[in-house]
Amino acid sequence: MPTTTASAVCTTVGNNILLRLTSGERDVKLKALRELKNQIIGNRTKKLSFLKLGAVPAVAGILSDAVSAVDVADNDENDRIVKDIIVQSAAVLGSFACGFEAGVRAVLDAGADILIQRGCLVEEMPLLKSYMEVVDAGARSLKMIYQSKMAPKYDFLQEENMEFLLSLLNNESENVSGLGASIISHSCKTSLEQKLLFDAGVLKRLTSLLGGSLIQRDASLESIATIFKNNPEVVSQFVGPDTGRTLSCIIEIVKDRFARTRLLASLCLIVIRNASPCYLQDVGIKTKLINNLLELLDDPGRVGDEASFAFSSLIAEKEDMQKLAFEVNGVDKLYNHLQKGSLHPRRFEGILLALADMCSKLECCRSRCLSLQVLKLVVDALAHDSSDVRSAACMCLRSVSRSIKNLSAGSFMNETIVIPLVRLLDDTSTAVQVAALGAISNIVVDFTTRRSTFIRLGGVKLLVQLSKSMDSTIRLNALRALRNLIFLAEDKCKEEIFMELTASLLASLICDPEPSVQEQALALVRNLVDGRINSVEYIFAEDGIILDAVGRQLRIASKAEIEIQGMYVLGNVATGKESHKEAVMDQLLLRAENKAQSCIIKFLQSNDSRLRTAAVWAVLNLTCSSSPGSSGRLVKLHDAGIVSHVKNMVNDPCLDVKLRVKTALEQFNSFDDSLILCIFSPAASNNKASTSCLQFLTVRAVGELSHVVDPSSKEEESIANYFRFSMKKNKKKKSTRTVKFCFDVPADSL
Amino acid sequence: MSLFWIVIRQLAEIEAMAMSKKVITREEWEKKLNDVKIRKEDMNKLVMNFLVTEGYVDAAEKFRMESGTEPDIDLATITDRMAVKKAVQCGNVEDAIEKVNDLNPEILDTNPQLFFHLQQQRLIELIRNGKVEEALEFAQEELAPRGEENQSFLEELERTVALLAFEDVSNCPVGDLLDISQRLKTASEVNAAILTSQSHEKDPKLPSLLKMLLWAQNQLDEKAAYPRINDLATATLEDPAI
Repeated sequence: MPTTTASAVCTTVGNNILLRLTSGERDVKLKALRELKNQIIGNRTKKLSFLKLGAVPAVAGILSDAVSAVDVADNDENDRIVKDIIVQSAAVLGSFACGFEAGVRAVLDAGADILIQRGCLVEEMPLLKSYMEVVDAGARSLKMIYQSKMAPKYDFLQEENMEFLLSLLNNESENVSGLGASIISHSCKTSLEQKLLFDAGVLKRLTSLLGGSLIQRDASLESIATIFKNNPEVVSQFVGPDTGRTLSCIIEIVKDRFARTRLLASLCLIVIRNASPCYLQDVGIKTKLINNLLELLDDPGRVGDEASFAFSSLIAEKEDMQKLAFEVNGVDKLYNHLQKGSLHPRRFEGILLALADMCSKLECCRSRCLSLQVLKLVVDALAHDSSDVRSAACMCLRSVSRSIKNLSAGSFMNETIVIPLVRLLDDTSTAVQVAALGAISNIVVDFTTRRSTFIRLGGVKLLVQLSKSMDSTIRLNALRALRNLIFLAEDKCKEEIFMELTASLLASLICDPEPSVQEQALALVRNLVDGRINSVEYIFAEDGIILDAVGRQLRIASKAEIEIQGMYVLGNVATGKESHKEAVMDQLLLRAENKAQSCIIKFLQSNDSRLRTAAVWAVLNLTCSSSPGSSGRLVKLHDAGIVSHVKNMVNDPCLDVKLRVKTALEQFNSFDDSLILCIFSPAASNNKASTSCLQFLTVRAVGELSHVVDPSSKEEESIANYFRFSMKKNKKKKSTRTVKFCFDVPADSL
Repeated sequence: MSLFWIVIRQLAEIEAMAMSKKVITREEWEKKLNDVKIRKEDMNKLVMNFLVTEGYVDAAEKFRMESGTEPDIDLATITDRMAVKKAVQCGNVEDAIEKVNDLNPEILDTNPQLFFHLQQQRLIELIRNGKVEEALEFAQEELAPRGEENQSFLEELERTVALLAFEDVSNCPVGDLLDISQRLKTASEVNAAILTSQSHEKDPKLPSLLKMLLWAQNQLDEKAAYPRINDLATATLEDPAI
């Protein structure tokens, strides 16, 4: 078989080389090293096979020996050979580490990085210093190692390390200074490290490197970006005359002839821009960056792949940038690239994410996308092999489906889109599932009657299943999708969904360990009971466990969002029948342990106006004039101190709250026309006592007393006696409603 | 080159009045040519740039002495690069690879396409020398893995291996691979990669200028009849066919 022959040949040659590497004679060793080097450079397959034969430790050993031999070198000839051996072995190790993860691991395991550093770059070797080749070879190899994520983290906090780094940066050789910059790009992660490097003054040197060779320029751009990334503090200190010079230098490089340099320069500017609100904000530079990146998309290689990610970081969450990009036909340009077909997965992912960012806030972008038939390509991407691409396609869909115009037109609720999306709910990757849920959450907000499509395709079953997932992010997003699905849904739709969900699941989700999940579950119930009276019945299913859960959560919750949703649930239930309203009253008046008042009082006093609004709504619905039991409820609310709190809110700063309070007060006042029944202890049931009580009452009641009923004339079936007072504010209004309040009047006070 | 732009602009103005092609006599044309001033220093720079980029060290050295034009690359670095280029042009690809790796081991490690073309050239040389057995072995051991590592090389790989299938290699469909031009192409690619790694422009400016000349003439052909340069080697003006 050909393959066997090939690898057999390779092994023979390989073994031969390795044998000669162990030779005692330096000449033989050197020759073998050069051969090995020439075999492996550019040849990944050979690297792998030599790796298996144990080449890396062997070469590392040779390097180590050679470095020790330098000190005892006695004549020029030996010196030269030792130097050559060091150069060649460093080159071999560097090549093993070049873009080949297994190689990097082997090199690191053999401690070669430390060897090379000590052997080639440390100042203490006077003999070596005169050999630029050795320094260059060492620097090149270390740079290869530091381009891999596996390279050891450079500890900037150690003073001697910083000194070494600075010496590297200040070195004349482009390979050495390039190495210094690579180390920064690789290892500088925390804001503390960024500050350390900034304070050590590396930026000055890095700026001068911008004017150097290609290697120095590229390495320097990457390092500068690394130092400023996500660190507004460091950027804010970047003031003075130097700043202007550095920035204008980088802006010039944006027009460089090499595509990779242009990309790195753009990325650098984007990092600075994102970290600080005061730099690079004028329209000129914004447009330049956008155009540059869109142009870089044309590059067929890795630069083109990465350009779209850079574009995303430029426009994400920034409406002004998205608008600018739209004006230069950004959407069309991205679409043209998408159309090319058989894209490298990384490129595909990047362009989809860029489109997702473009459409995240602007309707014009979404319309353009839809008119260009982008959806078709996006839907195809939903079935791509790469999970990153699938995820990106979902995010794109989520952004485009924020278009209310098209949602109402039902553009998204069709089988071509829904079927592949629903399939992704079962995807092996969690990230894809979450992204799909995001898209579905928007699509199911359909104002037509096409939700049944989604239900018919098994969407609800899957969503409910996901809401039981171990992963809280998935539970959260599944609930959000269900919440949107149920929003303003028809009765039949609600019924189907509820049957799948079940009351016990809802109740347990309301009590979920994650607060954000609780919030979504409550919002879901709010939408569920919203609407017609029979919707309210759902909350009483299975002995009212859902309502109990809601009440319980309200009493113990501490997050405003949960309290808001919970209050709206109660508010919605309070629009139902009398029994519904009474059930709400029971929940509200139940007090939590160690709490003196009903939770609603805390809500009415909250700093969050949304919560105050929700609380007042509930009170409004409980005391609405058209319900027969409202007056009784008003009494209870009064006794719990809730009514007086509402009255105190008449001048609330939030308009929404103020309007509701006004309505509530009008409702409260409409009950003052009613009859007030007073129950007091039998001991004082005589006319004299009742008059005194009346005097007691007038202080509390509004309006005139017009009628007193003798308690003794009342039929007694209970201990309590009744006094009935009819209060009339004016002769026109007379209502026969009664409000009961009771107090115990001790006999002696009368 | 600006001459042509001036001419085209003038013609555009006249075009509005006359739809038919304008005719320009040799006299008029030569007068216009003489009116355009080009500095000698700029011409020298172009020549030096060409010599240096293409790697003609001795010529560049001589030219520097005669004209006083300073090269934009250190002439010493050119020697190494030229050694590589020469090796490829002579068909000693293995030697060329060794030299490149001595010059800068990163070049071939970071340039998979270049490396593939060099390996491809090695195979071609083996076939050219009739060493069929060795060629087969080489193809399996060295080239096949390149195809595995990178799908985009497969097509070219297939073409090259196809050479092995023919008895009369010089007359087969893929026979062009055996041309000297293929060597020159590969040599040029290596040269460009080395130049780039040294942060220099990989293409000399003169060929681009010549391309512009041809393009400008083609554009002008649509609007006028004028004395054309048809032979780039002699650059003689040929009268317009009336």
